[in-house]
Amino acid sequence: MLAKRIQPMVFQARRLYVELMFQVMGRALQAVSEIDADVQKEARALPTGFLFEMMVMPNGSRLIVEHLGDGCFHYHGDSAPRPVNLSIQFKHIVHAFLVLSFQEKTSVAFANDRMLVDGDISYAIRMTRILNRLETFILPKLVAKRAVKEYPSNLHLPEKLLSAARIYLKVATNFVETVRT
Amino acid sequence: MTNQYYEFFCPVKVIAGKAALEHIPYELTGLGAKRPMIVTDKGVRAAGLLDPVIAACEESGLEIISIYDDVPPDSSTGVVKDIAGIYRREKCDSLIAVGGGSAIDTAKAVNILVSEGGDNIAEYSGAGIIKHPLKPFLVVPTTAGTGSEVTSVAVITDTAKSVKLPFTSSFLLPNAAVIDPRMTLTLPPHITAATAMDAMTHATEAFTCMAKNPLSDAYATAAIKKISGSLLKVMDNPKDSDGRLELAQASTMAGIAFSNSMVGLVHALGHATGAICHLPHGLCMSLYLPYVLEYNLESIRQPLGELLLYLEGPEVYSATPSSRRAEASISALRKLRDELHKRCKLPRTLKETGSVEEHQLDTIAELAMDDGSMMFNPKEVTLDDARAVLKKAWA
Repeated sequence: MLAKRIQPMVFQARRLYVELMFQVMGRALQAVSEIDADVQKEARALPTGFLFEMMVMPNGSRLIVEHLGDGCFHYHGDSAPRPVNLSIQFKHIVHAFLVLSFQEKTSVAFANDRMLVDGDISYAIRMTRILNRLETFILPKLVAKRAVKEYPSNLHLPEKLLSAARIYLKVATNFVETVRT
Repeated sequence: MTNQYYEFFCPVKVIAGKAALEHIPYELTGLGAKRPMIVTDKGVRAAGLLDPVIAACEESGLEIISIYDDVPPDSSTGVVKDIAGIYRREKCDSLIAVGGGSAIDTAKAVNILVSEGGDNIAEYSGAGIIKHPLKPFLVVPTTAGTGSEVTSVAVITDTAKSVKLPFTSSFLLPNAAVIDPRMTLTLPPHITAATAMDAMTHATEAFTCMAKNPLSDAYATAAIKKISGSLLKVMDNPKDSDGRLELAQASTMAGIAFSNSMVGLVHALGHATGAICHLPHGLCMSLYLPYVLEYNLESIRQPLGELLLYLEGPEVYSATPSSRRAEASISALRKLRDELHKRCKLPRTLKETGSVEEHQLDTIAELAMDDGSMMFNPKEVTLDDARAVLKKAWA
């Protein structure tokens, strides 16, 4: 009985969490593309103006980033200025929650058919590598190990801390700017 | 609670064994089809492989309305459009693909156009675009390797844009796959070897990559057992129709396995090598398999060790300490590869192919990094890792 009563609250909390995580990830993608050479190198292979979307089916939360060129991303929030080039779609909000709460690795979610790719698969692979790189920076090592297939052995603590600090600072600044406008 | 989750789907009716071709008229009639069109290639026709298919239909009063026998090895959007035009003009109502991967993929794409309408197959590229069942469609494989008869994917080259268009939908799956030993009896030794190793790779990667699941495991292990038991026998006696049937069934089983659990680094490297150096797919699979298994070893030690039972049989399996079974599985595959080299000069290294230059390895590695199969490899592959595997496979 109690479980039934709190169920709507659980649904709401889950939706809010996924929405918040998308907002953080979108801003963090923009931030990491401004500071990390490896991410820039990966992103340079994407066409300029390339729009990437990550969303929850059918009409749930979404994040949209654009490749502005030279490896730099711009976070557009949840609305795209034109049709997106690549969309990674979670089949259900529960699947998005499993991945975004680091209970299921992104690669495992793909293997488990939790997500669909609409667009060029090679770009999806590239974007997944970028997301993995981002997660290894911004998450504590123990959590990051749950999020990515393999934690990079060449990422040492000073580089990780410095990069994480710069990314979080940029994310916070972006949040403040969004609120002001 | 377990975190395991998987999906498994294979609605294809498998019709296999002696006189399987003679079931085609019954199957088509059961699907309400009376005017079938055959899609095939010149090699299949020249080898006389169409004759038993046509005879089986005619003897049962089913007339083959049209035969298109000019499917190229890399089928294109133009070819698909031409075949769809003939299908419509001749008022056909069903398709029979007779051939290898290219003929089957072409027929899948033709089925989209003739069922959904239009002339531009590129409009249907991608996943989940097709929403309705297509026309009755039967597949008769003439190689024992690709497994295309049970996969929901087709790849067609857009010649105008020089890109390969993928089509993915469960509606692409044929209504039935007809596996008749007569169709593979005349395969030349090197193609028999390469296609069988393609199926072996499908099964091995299906069993060791990230999306493995209990149902695909069952198909994968059965396929490996059949290939291990029959391949060398067929190489020594190409007219061994029982062995041929075993290989053909193994190919279909491996196809069912990998289409439900995906493949990994062997395929990523193989696709890239095929695209750059135009090496046959089966040859690339045979060549890369042991090197990739060595690279993945610590991530797949347990499942790879289990495969020893199906590769070498219960006696070798039980005599091998469990800690050494994974290495023994790789050795068994190397041994098989060496035996094939002895019998038909199937290359064991990139250098032996004579079609790859050492300076191309970096380009192959870079292209492989963007391959969709990379996602399902059990170990995270960096560009340096891919280069290292290629270097080992070089010579």
